[in-house]
Amino acid sequence: MTSPRAWHLLRPWIFPAVLIGAYEVYARRAAALGSDALAPPSAAVNAFVGAAVDGSLWQATAFTLGTAALGLLVGALLALALGVALGLSRRAARMGFVTIEALRPVPSVALIPLAMLMFGFGVRMELAIVAFATFWPVLLLVQAAVLQVEPRLLEVSRALGLSARERAFKIVLPAIVPRLFVALRLGVAVALVVAVTVEIAANPNGMGYAMMIAQQSFDPALMLAWLGWIGVVGYAINVAMLALQRSVARRMGAAT
Amino acid sequence: MTSALARLPGLAPHDGPVLGIDAVAIRYGGREVLSPTSFDVSRGEFVCIVGASGCGKTTLLRAASGLVEASAGEVRRNGVPMKGPSREVAFVFQDYGRALLPWRTVEGNVSLALEAAGVPASERPARIAQVLGKVGLVPHAQKFPVQLSGGMQQRVQIARCLAQRPQLMMMDEPFGALDALTRQGLQDELARLVRDDGLTVLFVTHDLEEAIYLGDRVIALQADPAPGRPSLARMIDVPIPRPRDQLTTKEHPEFLRLRRELFSFIEHGLHD
Repeated sequence: MTSPRAWHLLRPWIFPAVLIGAYEVYARRAAALGSDALAPPSAAVNAFVGAAVDGSLWQATAFTLGTAALGLLVGALLALALGVALGLSRRAARMGFVTIEALRPVPSVALIPLAMLMFGFGVRMELAIVAFATFWPVLLLVQAAVLQVEPRLLEVSRALGLSARERAFKIVLPAIVPRLFVALRLGVAVALVVAVTVEIAANPNGMGYAMMIAQQSFDPALMLAWLGWIGVVGYAINVAMLALQRSVARRMGAAT
Repeated sequence: MTSALARLPGLAPHDGPVLGIDAVAIRYGGREVLSPTSFDVSRGEFVCIVGASGCGKTTLLRAASGLVEASAGEVRRNGVPMKGPSREVAFVFQDYGRALLPWRTVEGNVSLALEAAGVPASERPARIAQVLGKVGLVPHAQKFPVQLSGGMQQRVQIARCLAQRPQLMMMDEPFGALDALTRQGLQDELARLVRDDGLTVLFVTHDLEEAIYLGDRVIALQADPAPGRPSLARMIDVPIPRPRDQLTTKEHPEFLRLRRELFSFIEHGLHD
């Protein structure tokens, strides 16, 4: 018998293990029947090790993550600045409303042709599209967060005679940090999705492109390896963001 | 009266009242929340404002501190018309839980007032320690507001206001949300601070005993006065000697007389 503790740690992995095992059996049988569209997970692990050893895995991962992170940084910083302004000033919110509502629904992938014309292939076009895609959700969440800042705190800042700049940096920004993390985690997910999409559709770089190449060269094992790896990377980023959020919350005096 | 020197507190000993409320009226959307009210507050005076809820006492305090603009009339500080809030006027809000920055420690919350006033970082620790000492919070300097009781949180807010070294302290039912024992403790602490530092206080409360116990003067407001009548309905002096204490002062014949006078006025003058 395993100890209750080991059982507790093991339990979440049972379902994925069963799924992977079933898929292994299914893919092997399909291959035996002459299909080369599917590869069993064991073959994908082999292909993954190969890509890790020859370095292509790390290079493509660094490209995609680096571009997504830079794009998110640009998009989120612009959204943060504008969101705070729109949240604090009702006049600015009214002035920007139509522009925002007209631009926001544009699917970010629809900008690929424009970005290709403007920037060509490479980091810049992908970065621009990621920045565009992450800008809108972060903007709306930041604006909503600023509107929810405790009005009493804004009054306190008036009574104490804080300048507008001090009010933004010492009251508003710290007050929206918990909601900012929600916006940021959403932004991270959007950035990764959009970066990989742009690579699959147009940009000959990164993890999305590597997966496309594997598919086009009839290497389903490598393709599956990339697919699994992208999932693992996304999961790891989410875990890291949660840890960061918790550590910041602790330092800001939440939940003692 | 309104010489340029009078604008520089500390340089010009101004003989007139520190605060002048001159026919101040407040209207919100056509409804008159405060009918034209006038009174003065002298340096070192402790003035309490009482009245049933809805009589405009908080509104009057906010107008007096510049947080709300008067619809009519004028607020003067040292004889100079006041436009907007000033660092010379500190405001203690009733809801200490919302008025403190939850992400800053006790020390950090007090520091905010000094940062706003442009006090150099090198001078802040000494001034923070000084005001925390006055309200007995030195051992809790590193704690966050959620770790403190309500009474201690309100002390933090008072310390933050003291750090401003204000000429005038506005207090909006500061002890209204506290339990009776904590309230009495803080009343005595405030009376001591006022005596030691020579503070000038305008204090809003719905508790008549608190008003008489703390005040040199009590102003009673009435809700919805007859048209053309001021909100200010009574102004009484409190000739009870200081220092006062919870037991003997509250049995002082003058205390009982004033309480009866105010109580019957509030009872018969207004209904909620």
